[in-house]
Amino acid sequence: MSVQKPLELILARNLLASLTTPGLLVSDGGELLFYNEAAGALLGRSFEETAEMSAVDWTSAFGPFREDGAAMSYEEIPATVALRRNRPFHGRFEIRAARGEHREVAASAIPIVGQRGSSGAIVIFWPVEDAGDR
Amino acid sequence: MQLKVWGCRGSIPAPGPETTRYGGNTSCVELTLSDSSKLILDAGTGIRNLGLSLDRGAILEQPIHVLLTHLHLDHIQGFMFFAPLFTPGAEIVIWGPASPQGPLCDRLGRYISAPLAPVEVRELPSTLTFREADALEWQIGPARIRAAPVNHRGPTLGYRIEDGDVSVAYIPDHEPGLGARLCEQDDEWISGFELARDASLLIHDCQYTDDEYVAHVGWGHCPVSDALGFARRTDPGSVLLFHHDPLHSDEFLDALRDDVIERWCELGGRPEQIELARETRELTVVGARAEASR
Repeated sequence: MSVQKPLELILARNLLASLTTPGLLVSDGGELLFYNEAAGALLGRSFEETAEMSAVDWTSAFGPFREDGAAMSYEEIPATVALRRNRPFHGRFEIRAARGEHREVAASAIPIVGQRGSSGAIVIFWPVEDAGDR
Repeated sequence: MQLKVWGCRGSIPAPGPETTRYGGNTSCVELTLSDSSKLILDAGTGIRNLGLSLDRGAILEQPIHVLLTHLHLDHIQGFMFFAPLFTPGAEIVIWGPASPQGPLCDRLGRYISAPLAPVEVRELPSTLTFREADALEWQIGPARIRAAPVNHRGPTLGYRIEDGDVSVAYIPDHEPGLGARLCEQDDEWISGFELARDASLLIHDCQYTDDEYVAHVGWGHCPVSDALGFARRTDPGSVLLFHHDPLHSDEFLDALRDDVIERWCELGGRPEQIELARETRELTVVGARAEASR
């Protein structure tokens, strides 16, 4: 069995599972720990299909992407930079769904900091549908 | 390891003719370790009778360790009536959860101070030491203690006490199934799992029936189905269901006990493995099984 997850990550995962807003949970090291059904619908793959993914694997699969089309590494993502400083972040990214289509999303990332320090981050995101969202 | 239940009622003391058998005192469990030293789990109103039972020698010969899971009133309310507190020369070490609100001493001092109490902590003739226990492992006498946060409202710890090959997991206030079905979660995603896994004895919250829980989701306590589910997943040698709702009379708990045993067996457990805690209950926790003393 893996090491017991910190309580704050357990509660964050259970919260995401209860939301209809797309959301995902990453560990302090960038591993993708969970995403909910709404996120799965946006990404075109359920969490049950992917399971936990390393930072390299999920950023390669889903993005976000630079303007030149290359996937950003986890450490390059502006949200990561903020989270490393225990700061929240809001911004827009381009992601890629399972069938290859790219779409723009707005995302808010909140660091999760427990008694033992930073545990990870919760990221809520939604598609940028039209000009009204810009 | 010897165990005695001094209080197993949740939320508020519930004395009266309808609760004499299971008891109305709130959470307090006494552990006697292999070297005869004692640990006290929680300081609900049951700690008052525990304190009265201690002889002066036991109070003075070595520090008394009190492990608080959290500072809700039903888990600390008896503390000011704990006789060793007023015994000059007594040393009492109080363990509890950390909080951004302030040190444990200050937070507990909100109760042992005016206007809630006629005395202040500093006036007590005993020597009190406060230690914050989050995510710690430490030794008390022959016992290895492990604390970890568990899902309850506010900073709350569960404890695992290991003495040789005997272990007791104490999680009296716990809502492991909040927002998630336990059967759908991997072990590492279940609050309290590591504390309880393979323990000789698991003492766990079972405040609500499944029907009652519907109106109490998020209150931090456990329905029967989740208590049994958690116990089956963590596979302790024995289970003591704890923190009885103050509205649950002796007759109600007798019926609940029968239901619990039936459901436990349906889950693959043995009937002798599980019981509802009651005041004055004594157990000898040996290896993988707790044996009833009386």
